[in-house]
Amino acid sequence: MARVNDVGGQTGFGPLRIEPDEPPFHADWEARVYALNVAMLRRGAYDLDRFRDAIERMPPEEYLAASYYERWLHAIETLTADG
Amino acid sequence: MADARFAVGDRVRTRAVDPPHHTRLPRYACGQVGEVVEVQGSWILADDRAQRVAEPRVETVYTVRFRAEELWGPPAGHLVQVELWESYLEEAG
Repeated sequence: MARVNDVGGQTGFGPLRIEPDEPPFHADWEARVYALNVAMLRRGAYDLDRFRDAIERMPPEEYLAASYYERWLHAIETLTADG
Repeated sequence: MADARFAVGDRVRTRAVDPPHHTRLPRYACGQVGEVVEVQGSWILADDRAQRVAEPRVETVYTVRFRAEELWGPPAGHLVQVELWESYLEEAG
């Protein structure tokens, strides 16, 4: 059963918005989420496949409303709560 | 190291059924016929790792090329390449 992230080829999302000189992070919290995920992966708390799975298991309406790093944070929270 | 079932130039068909777990076969490429353009070595199957399978399968990964018009209709003219584990594929003949 294809999941909400599996949108390749789907229309209705509008054109890609290209941001000139886009910084890697739009806020400090995004950089902290990035660093936290790297630390968790290196510690072996979980692997990248479980991480992606956790993102895909977000409720669809939350997934679509969330930004990229909001999804990362959701996955980190899910996986650490799962134990 | 897994033995490679397919070779460059082989026509393959992707499985048609979506599994109820994490996978790396996107919906738009399900049940489609493509051509193997590169053999990418052996890798742990993402589906198994995501499900924390105790002994995850190790399989050959292939770059498979599809025609965009076969996936989504006209216009023709561009190609889509997806990297797919061997268990996602069957011979197309």
